[in-house]
Amino acid sequence: MSNLELQHIDKIYDNHVQAVFDFNLNVKDGEFIVLVGPSGCGKSTTLRMVAGLEDISAGKLLLDGKDITTMPPRDRDMAMVFQNYALYGHMTIYENMAFSLTLRKEDPNVIHRKVLDAAEILGLTPQLNKKPSQLSGGQRQRVAMGRSIVRNPKIFLFDEPLSNLDAKLRSSTRREVMLLHKRLNATMLYVTHDQTEALTLADRIVCMSMGRVQQIGTPLELYDTPANLFVASFIGLPPMNFFDVHVNSDALVHEFFRIPMNDEMRQTLENYFGKVITLGVRPENISEGGDIPIDVMTNENLGMNTLVHGHIGSGKDAVKVSAKLRGWCDYHAGDAVKVSFDRLHFFDKETTDAIRREAK
Amino acid sequence: MANMSDEQLTKRDRLRYTKNKTSANLALLAIVFDVLYFVSIYKSNMGSYYYTLMMGISVVYNLVFMLVAFLVSEGSKNYLVQYSYLIIAAGVLQFVRILILPVKAHGSIIELSDGPVQVMGSAQFARVCIYLAASGACCLASAVVGIIRCRQLAEAEKAAADFVSNSEITS
Repeated sequence: MSNLELQHIDKIYDNHVQAVFDFNLNVKDGEFIVLVGPSGCGKSTTLRMVAGLEDISAGKLLLDGKDITTMPPRDRDMAMVFQNYALYGHMTIYENMAFSLTLRKEDPNVIHRKVLDAAEILGLTPQLNKKPSQLSGGQRQRVAMGRSIVRNPKIFLFDEPLSNLDAKLRSSTRREVMLLHKRLNATMLYVTHDQTEALTLADRIVCMSMGRVQQIGTPLELYDTPANLFVASFIGLPPMNFFDVHVNSDALVHEFFRIPMNDEMRQTLENYFGKVITLGVRPENISEGGDIPIDVMTNENLGMNTLVHGHIGSGKDAVKVSAKLRGWCDYHAGDAVKVSFDRLHFFDKETTDAIRREAK
Repeated sequence: MANMSDEQLTKRDRLRYTKNKTSANLALLAIVFDVLYFVSIYKSNMGSYYYTLMMGISVVYNLVFMLVAFLVSEGSKNYLVQYSYLIIAAGVLQFVRILILPVKAHGSIIELSDGPVQVMGSAQFARVCIYLAASGACCLASAVVGIIRCRQLAEAEKAAADFVSNSEITS
């Protein structure tokens, strides 16, 4: 069992800068939680507070019901994997992986078995006699993970572990992290700014901005029903398109297009008639054939899809749009393509919160 | 090998990933005792015949010994058995050295202005003998440990290779 609870956690630095505001999270045993957000949003600070590397200014941190808010890092039974691997260059991979257990004066035979088991899991057995400098970035990160595994900690903490790797290696190592979680069924907290990592790895995602939690939910919840404009714009690649539209009783009206409203939309927006709201459309929810004209600027063929960047309208009021059209398209700069919006998201213009149909 | 317990098998298997530090450290300890010996003979009357004649050779040999012992230390750390054989020779020579300079100096008297003086007193003689003997013993111990561990490692590697080939056949 390893349940982790963060209750009303604040982080205020000595210079009175507040990095984290009222962070609340309940991590269940075996859950994979990903903290995602742009640089400086407080996700790494939160992870470091959980690890005990940063003091918690206010709030409580509970591990299996026990208050560990002020407990030193070494007593927390958590293992952290860093972005820069933090391996000892003069030691072999075996020695690196065994090091923490050696310091604890565990029986050498027990250490040996644990190291071999971890190496087997991570496919590092042939590398055990090598030095870190002889390994690739991905292998080094696996060693760092192996060093955590041998400790058999209650919680694994990952601080942007794949950021130093190239795209191909990042993808394969990400799969390894996924398999590792399935195999160990361990509780993991993972920090990243890469939404692909967040969406593929997480059981639940914590999306953060400016030190505040914006939304906590499953990857699908964050993608499909973003809580506000920030989450909508951060999750999804290319990001969601936004338009300011006027809500009429029968249509959403933009300077350059008009979308008739159905009953469902009318019920959702019943409190916004006569007001301006933000309309969100994901690029993948735009398809060819319709009456909304896009002036093409660039055409990127991705094989299965074509990514078209352009703008709706002209002059200084033109709105930039990205559309992920199905199939192979050959548009050129200046072409006009007519599209339709298949799925719409609505956001309050003032609060930026998502507008949802109220349950009756 | 079939009678080995799990613990013994694990201990042997560990050799595949750990350095032979015992052997290496014993070789380094042999250097330490040799240095102690070399430093302690300066307490003797340095103007004596024996020293003027043998000091140069002794200095050169000490340098050679330290170099050999250091190389052996590095070699045996990596389970290179030939280094263990090399340090057997070095260890035996340390014992032989007792019979050269210390024994002769201890048995010799020189005439000084204030009368006859023993070149190397009994206490100092005992000390240098102990240092050289300890150095030689460390060399021999390093060699013995090195040879044993090299054999164990060879067995462990053979067992691992057999395990891999058997697994491949099974799969």
